[in-house]
Amino acid sequence: MDPLRQDEFDSQACGSMAPKAKPCPRPKPGEAAGGCSFDGAQITLLPIMDAAHLVHGPIACAGNSWESRGALSSGPSLSQYGFATDLTDSDIIFGGEKKLKDSIDYIAGRFAPPAIFVYSTCVTALIGEDMDAVCKEAADRIGIPVIPVNSPGFVGSKNLGNRLAGDALLQYVIGTGEPEPETDLGVNLIGEYNIAGEMWDIEKLMNSAGIAVTSRITGDARYKEITWAHRARVNMVVCSRALLGLAKEMESRYGIPYFEGSFYGAKETTYSLRQMAYLMNDREMERRVDRLTEREEARLSQELRPYRKLLRGKRAVLYTGGVKSWSVISALKELGVQVVGVGTNKSTEDDVRRIADRVGDDTEYIPEGGASRIIKTVRERKADIMIAGGRNMYVAMKEQIPFIDINQERHKAYAGYEGLLRLAKELTYSLANPIWKLAASPAPWDKEAPPYDR
Amino acid sequence: MSRDELNIKDNTSLFKEERYVQQRENKKQFEAPCSEKETAEALAYSKSAEYMEKNFSRQNVVINPHKACQPLGSVMAALGFEKTLPFVHGSQGCNAYFRSHLSRHFKEPTPSVSTSMTEDAAVFGGMNNLIDGLENSVALYKPEMVAICTTCMAEVIGDDLNSFIGNARIKGVISEEYPVAYCNTPSFVGSHITGYDAMIKGILSYLYTRSGIESKPGSGAESGEKLNVMLGFEPYTGNFAELRKILGAFDTKYTLLGDHSGNYDSPATGEYEYYYGGTKLADVPQAANALATLSLQKYTLKKTQEYISGTWNQQLAALSTPLGIKGTDTLLATISELTGLPIPAVLTEERGRVVDALMDSHPYLHGKRVALVGDPDLLIGLIGFCLETGMEPVHIICSNGDVDFNEVKFKDEAEALLAASPYGTEATVHVGKDLWHMRSLLLNDKVDLAIGSSHLKFAAKDAEVPLVRVGFPIFDRHHMHRYPIIGYQGTLNLLSLIVNTILQQLDDHNSGFNFELVR
Ligand code: SF4
Repeated sequence: MDPLRQDEFDSQACGSMAPKAKPCPRPKPGEAAGGCSFDGAQITLLPIMDAAHLVHGPIACAGNSWESRGALSSGPSLSQYGFATDLTDSDIIFGGEKKLKDSIDYIAGRFAPPAIFVYSTCVTALIGEDMDAVCKEAADRIGIPVIPVNSPGFVGSKNLGNRLAGDALLQYVIGTGEPEPETDLGVNLIGEYNIAGEMWDIEKLMNSAGIAVTSRITGDARYKEITWAHRARVNMVVCSRALLGLAKEMESRYGIPYFEGSFYGAKETTYSLRQMAYLMNDREMERRVDRLTEREEARLSQELRPYRKLLRGKRAVLYTGGVKSWSVISALKELGVQVVGVGTNKSTEDDVRRIADRVGDDTEYIPEGGASRIIKTVRERKADIMIAGGRNMYVAMKEQIPFIDINQERHKAYAGYEGLLRLAKELTYSLANPIWKLAASPAPWDKEAPPYDR
Repeated sequence: MSRDELNIKDNTSLFKEERYVQQRENKKQFEAPCSEKETAEALAYSKSAEYMEKNFSRQNVVINPHKACQPLGSVMAALGFEKTLPFVHGSQGCNAYFRSHLSRHFKEPTPSVSTSMTEDAAVFGGMNNLIDGLENSVALYKPEMVAICTTCMAEVIGDDLNSFIGNARIKGVISEEYPVAYCNTPSFVGSHITGYDAMIKGILSYLYTRSGIESKPGSGAESGEKLNVMLGFEPYTGNFAELRKILGAFDTKYTLLGDHSGNYDSPATGEYEYYYGGTKLADVPQAANALATLSLQKYTLKKTQEYISGTWNQQLAALSTPLGIKGTDTLLATISELTGLPIPAVLTEERGRVVDALMDSHPYLHGKRVALVGDPDLLIGLIGFCLETGMEPVHIICSNGDVDFNEVKFKDEAEALLAASPYGTEATVHVGKDLWHMRSLLLNDKVDLAIGSSHLKFAAKDAEVPLVRVGFPIFDRHHMHRYPIIGYQGTLNLLSLIVNTILQQLDDHNSGFNFELVR
């Protein structure tokens, strides 16, 4: 894939369209839908590892969610702490602002974080807390940024929450700091959360092509580096349409060009690296990227050979949060795995178009309907494997379908060239496990004929 | 392909490779971190007594909570009934959390839906969401009963479940007879255990009232000699099996009120069904005629107990989680008393075997200082178990105490229990505190062992104390919930878990002359 020229670039899918007012489909009552906007906002901001994240609300939101995501940190761990104002009924009546203020003070005093993010929840939004005012007043008083994140669960889906978190970054963080003079400026990675350490693979790759990461938004990020994100030369939106608005806005405010890309699959990885170098307008860098990607691709295809043999023609059903679907499809295709069903319940129209570009005609779109719907597709399409997130994992197990976890709880990094190799191995591994045979055959005495006759 | 050929590394091993370590080092220049000295000082300070005092005077922020909210408990309660769909009225996020939370603990799917309320619902009320939700979910998941609980959002805007459900019937979305139980569970009140209680009471009272039966305890052909048994917010499916074994040995008839073990321990058949097992709906009104009710989590099931002894006029015995020999003895004595049946010889024999095991292990347990975190009833059981083995409870934290049971509060009972034993003299019971408090306690006044849920692992690691995972949630170990911890068999499991953790610790820390074969 050749990098797009700027004029084409503007007219193409890569971010020319500003997200619509409501880019994400509304959840439907009576279904086992995914997370809320609060969850989405947290997901985006929690990987700012050295900041404190305080949930303003009753115990529900924090008590059920703290420290349960796989975004890894290479150092600070403050983001792991579950801070909550834990509002009780009297706070609901008399207001929780005092409690919030005291909580902020306590955290600032005891943990000295570079910044505190304060999340509203359904309850605090409904009782009309003036969180912005409390945060502002606190920030002035204690001298560190206190950032309100107004993304209560009821405003909509997880994707919307991602977006609202992006808005908070734009409004309160980006542009408030300056990089140290000797900092090598390069690319902001937007929407990559370092699940299972994928960020580290990506960074390694970029570094070996001589491309610096300016700010990580937000995988394994430090608060400070985000404050200077406006100095980057290029923004890459890593398969997350929800944060496209952020890139778009940074383009108009700071003139930073952006593109959408992914690191799942060799092709997408190569494309992304080349696009970075191209947008940096650096010939030398482009050449370096070409050399690197050629070398890596060659090595990869060598290493992939045995797995491709085993995986060719295998059929998979993919059910992710939507945003990741199209990019994972590319990766699977390169391995010879055919995607016969794909979940689109959280995808935007653009996502669906991208998916359509990448799958064959007989792929089934699974719009909604939870576990039973997915299973139906697996069965009808005779899929060999299901690739989905944790909440669907145990359903797959019940149905004895080989499974790979692709969401937040996974422990394997699948990004970049090495990631693709790991994905190939993992697929092979999962398909080959002896347990599927064992599970599929009934107890010996339940068989009509003894096993050796079969 | 074999593991060697594949050699897939997960994040624990992959990122220890030199190249990644180097990369992280390089990154430090962008971090503007504190100096190592500052970091070390801050860490040391956080371990000091001075900080502990400050920490304990903390009023307004919870750090690392050890409780979940009411509706989470309600979802678990609803799953205890046959073909019942838990239905969460509120915005959708909470439900997603409940489902992952429970699934991560039990490693099983959790069927539960929500009304997905949004902004317009916040303004106009959630009635349409509830009605649409009922229509959709009944069509999709074909439950035989829907059990609705609220979240804080629905509570704040003051949605009236009863009239909404009524309207759904009027609109013909569900028939007049279709059972829909409900309870109110704002998450700014109580915790997962009070939510569990609310839903159990909601279901029992709903099914009983609509049946038109009038309770006559000890009457009725089927139910007159039966015992009702409730386990409460029970994170161990193994405990259900153990209890069945015990009741089976007594040869008594019984009804479990709220049995989610089927849902959370279903066999691999190759086909996923939404509903597995659970208390039969028809058994609930009959339970009003049972001989008596035995509750195994007296603090958790407070409202349900009141309901049963009040409305059903039933004799009620309420114990805390029956852990340890004495805890189990009490359980057996109570069953025997309620049913009039003698204690079965097999159980006496089993008791003997477990006492024997406790004797074998006692040298390693005696005088071991332990920290405990959990829900009230579990803690009462654990304290009892520790005291009978000669372990010394030192720090006890119960985030979601203090639930009072008639006149006795959890804290009072725990303290009385501790005061009655020479091994309990050092203990302090902290109610309403969180795991960050526990961290201070562990760092300032060291113990040999911590017992609690997975969430405790961070504090335990900081303090270099081995953690035995007991309670809820256990996210980072497999199959713990499949083994009982109640009854004599459960006592043996708990004992093995604890003593072997201690022995492992001995081996890990010894490599010289005392790295021995026999212990
Ligand atoms: S839906 Fe509302 S109450 Fe529930 S977790 Fe999300 S923000 Fe919290």
